[in-house]
Amino acid sequence: MLLEISDVSLLYGRIQALHGISLGVDEGEIVALIGANGAGKSTTMRAISGIRPVASGRIRFNGDDITKLRADLRVVRGLCQAPEGRGIFPGMTVLENLEMGAYTRRDRAGIAADLERVFGLFPRLAERRKQVGGTLSGGEQQMLTIGRALMSQPKLLLLDEPSMGLAPMLIQQIFSIISEINSQGTTILLVEQNAQQALARADRGYVLETGRIVKSGTGTELLHDPAVKEAYLGVA
Amino acid sequence: MNVHAFLHNFWENTISGLAQGAIYALFALGYTLVYGVLRLINFAHSEVFMLGTFGAIITWQALGLDQDSPTPSFGPVVLYLIVGLAGAMVFSAVTATIVERVAYRPLRKRNAPVLAFLISAIGASVVLSELVGVLSRRKPRGVPRLVQPEAVFTIGGAEVTNLTIGILVVAFGLMFALDRFINRSRLGRGVRAVAQDPNTAALMGVNKDRVIMLIFILGGLMAGAAALLYDLKIGGTDFFAGFDLGIKAFAAAVLGGIGNLRGALVGGLILGILEPYTSSLFGTQWTAVTAFVVLIIILLFRPNGILGESLGRARA
Ligand SMILES: Nc1ncnc2c1ncn2[C@@H]1O[C@H](COP(=O)(O)OP(=O)(O)O)[C@@H](O)[C@H]1O
Ligand SMILES: [Mg+2]
Repeated sequence: MLLEISDVSLLYGRIQALHGISLGVDEGEIVALIGANGAGKSTTMRAISGIRPVASGRIRFNGDDITKLRADLRVVRGLCQAPEGRGIFPGMTVLENLEMGAYTRRDRAGIAADLERVFGLFPRLAERRKQVGGTLSGGEQQMLTIGRALMSQPKLLLLDEPSMGLAPMLIQQIFSIISEINSQGTTILLVEQNAQQALARADRGYVLETGRIVKSGTGTELLHDPAVKEAYLGVA
Repeated sequence: MNVHAFLHNFWENTISGLAQGAIYALFALGYTLVYGVLRLINFAHSEVFMLGTFGAIITWQALGLDQDSPTPSFGPVVLYLIVGLAGAMVFSAVTATIVERVAYRPLRKRNAPVLAFLISAIGASVVLSELVGVLSRRKPRGVPRLVQPEAVFTIGGAEVTNLTIGILVVAFGLMFALDRFINRSRLGRGVRAVAQDPNTAALMGVNKDRVIMLIFILGGLMAGAAALLYDLKIGGTDFFAGFDLGIKAFAAAVLGGIGNLRGALVGGLILGILEPYTSSLFGTQWTAVTAFVVLIIILLFRPNGILGESLGRARA
């Protein structure tokens, strides 16, 4: 298993946001983590990427225990997150943002090749490479966070609500790009409120409710699960 | 108000003001770098500068030069100046590093509130200046006579000396290099990333502690250069040298837009020029008052300073 989280709890001060969650991601998979607003999806991402320390439990990545590893060193190991919302560097150009994604790398040729790959996936970014990040549209900023994360050559790509706040057409586009990235060999853990789309593309999924995993299964199983349908797919 | 004196001394004042302003600007960069990344006012930065003024003198002393030594010939002078500059910069950078390690890092690891940092900063400043006060027996120290000011050319009847030219060249050269480093290099991008969004910077693999150490070192190097230029301009220093100048350099940083590298330059030059102008117009006793009145007026209209705030957002 590429990523294995066992019994992880996390506190914000006195508020407990995660209550012993366990989940795993296998090499090559797309795994979806769905749940309502405030369920703890972003918190799970923060625990995995090391932005917040966990109170208890273990996180293993690629065979190593990384529970206590500093966030920046997890990037070196091949874990990279595209954060929620407009998590770009607003004062940097598109190109500089992408170069930040390659911060831990020194192989110039490889970086240049990956830059071309990202521009291939997101032609919009290529057109706007000199533009300052803060002046991009919401959709372009989302593309930039994904592209930037790819620049680190992650073994596991963590995507936190890549479709948030986007027009339906753009949502389609983002999801098909996610599938494309996966088919090019990158394992993906995808957090989404857009459960329909996420589960349709995912190999497996987990449902998170108030800091607990309440259900898991293959994407198709969850899509057809009556409880999931009612709670997350807008089917009465 | 003495308009005649102002007009009569205009060029002379402008030239000496620019030289003084360049020193303020170099000094101000340390405040701006640390504020830009940590939102912290490093009050101990004045002592980082003060130790630089002693650093150059100690370096020269180690080479057998003191204030009574005769002025060496041109070749050796250039060498002495370069070594003195390096000595001052190293002294200041090491001091800045120690301040960060001892006064700030432990607080940061404990997520201390802002006020704790402020008190720690003031404490570090007092400790350093008293320490040097005791070691120097509270006496001023003279600088070897390495540069005898001589007019190289004149503008509007005012002499421009070799010393003034040297100060401007060194100050602008270093500021240009720093600006390039922050805006063009990989490490500089890391600094701006932490300034804009520390969490996202960590997600990109930036080691925050290393960036913080880097900005203290850079600020220290710049303050050390300012210290050497001050030594040469004033001809001596004492344990209190950082206090007065520190307030002005800090004011310059705020005036230009604290957290903005180019703002430090603009603020420093404005403050530097303003002093001799007002001294001519209203008399020396009004210099400080006028400088701060101007500062307040500018901040009323531009609360974030002339060039605006953050290291990241204003694209440095
Ligand atoms: N920085 C924080 N401080 C305190 N509580 C937080 C913080 N971030 C999130 N929370 C709380 O933790 C819970 C989970 O939040 P989050 O992980 O952001 O949910 P989701 O991403 O699923 O919408 C929520 O109740 C939220 O209010
Ligand atoms: Mg969230």
